[in-house]
Amino acid sequence: MRNYFLLLFFIAFSSTIQAQDVTMNASEIAAFKEKVIASAKATQTIKTDFVQYKHLDFLADDVKTSGKMVFKAPGLVKWEYTNPYQYSVIFKEDQLLINDGGTKSKVDIGNSKLFKKLNQLIVNSVKGNMFNDSDFTVSFYKSSKYNKAVFIPKDKKIASYIASFELLFNKNDAQVFEVKMVEPSQDFTRIIFSNRTLNTTINDSVFSN
Amino acid sequence: MIRFLAISLLATVVLTSCSLKTTEGLRQVPFTKIEVENPYFSNAEIDYVYKAKIEVYGKNFGGILIIKKIAAKSHRVVFTTEFGSKLFDFQFEDDTFTKNFIVEELDKKFIINILKDDFKLLVNEKAKILEVYESENQRIYKTHNDERFNFYFINAGTGQLQKIVNTSKTKEKMEIDFTSSDGKIADTIAIKHNNIKLTIDLEKFKKE
Repeated sequence: MRNYFLLLFFIAFSSTIQAQDVTMNASEIAAFKEKVIASAKATQTIKTDFVQYKHLDFLADDVKTSGKMVFKAPGLVKWEYTNPYQYSVIFKEDQLLINDGGTKSKVDIGNSKLFKKLNQLIVNSVKGNMFNDSDFTVSFYKSSKYNKAVFIPKDKKIASYIASFELLFNKNDAQVFEVKMVEPSQDFTRIIFSNRTLNTTINDSVFSN
Repeated sequence: MIRFLAISLLATVVLTSCSLKTTEGLRQVPFTKIEVENPYFSNAEIDYVYKAKIEVYGKNFGGILIIKKIAAKSHRVVFTTEFGSKLFDFQFEDDTFTKNFIVEELDKKFIINILKDDFKLLVNEKAKILEVYESENQRIYKTHNDERFNFYFINAGTGQLQKIVNTSKTKEKMEIDFTSSDGKIADTIAIKHNNIKLTIDLEKFKKE
């Protein structure tokens, strides 16, 4: 019984110290945007590990996958899953180069407006710089631990896939450390970045299949 | 006499050409068992998560297939891309099929019907036995499936379900092959169609 109260106490206590999101005011938004844009401009390359959690309300545990992401300005991205399986996608111009455990394929996205938009979203969310995107309504929040930008699509077709798109930024260097995509059903995907290195030399050959 | 020979020869040709390859060379045996079971999606405690590779008419797609038993006779089957976005979300409850979600590109009646039939057979736990056959190392249970039949191949030694073949009266239509190390969870699943160029390969997520 005593342990039970102790537990309750800790739950209550930990929830009060947990970061609370507060809406940013106009000057805070301006300062935040400026910092993110400056940081994105100074970022030529990014190498980072990531862990992805797919949350579905009927599952006991989130589906966890992990891997590495490489970005090179202006628009090369390689997204590579290494656990529990090997799968990589390279976003390159109007193509997706896929390697599914040795099975290689190519998808042309030149004709698909939706795919282009999603591709752009991925590239821009890695950089964090997508505030001028007229396809989204953006709102800004702050907490003691992070700054947060929430993107809500205006386009009906995109909205049928993504209800909202959240980027969490470090307070100090304005880099994205978490991406959350919420589906209309409220199921969501969270991607958390770690071990990030910036502006190291990355050969273009990394982005070929 | 010649006429008789000709007729019987013709009859043999016609009959054998109509018969299923599935049961060729097998002997039919009497049985007392009422139902045959597929144990691979029967535990409501388990999140069944598989890496999926789909090949349809030479094109390759990948994704994650998630299956969960959510009630006594009910399964949820969700397919997502590697990035986590849902491609479809189906629910099977007895004979009721519910389409919770499907992306516009796949929202076509013939695609949904194929997926529905494949996954319904995959998650179905019990089927009433019509006939039983035997080979050297397998027992084969024939069951009804609407206008068609399913043949469940059980390893006689281990008792493990190895294969389900879906047939019409005369032709094999689709086949599901299982491999399993413990007989409770399928490590790999291969779904192959004979009349359309579609294969679905599933590999269970490894434990961390």
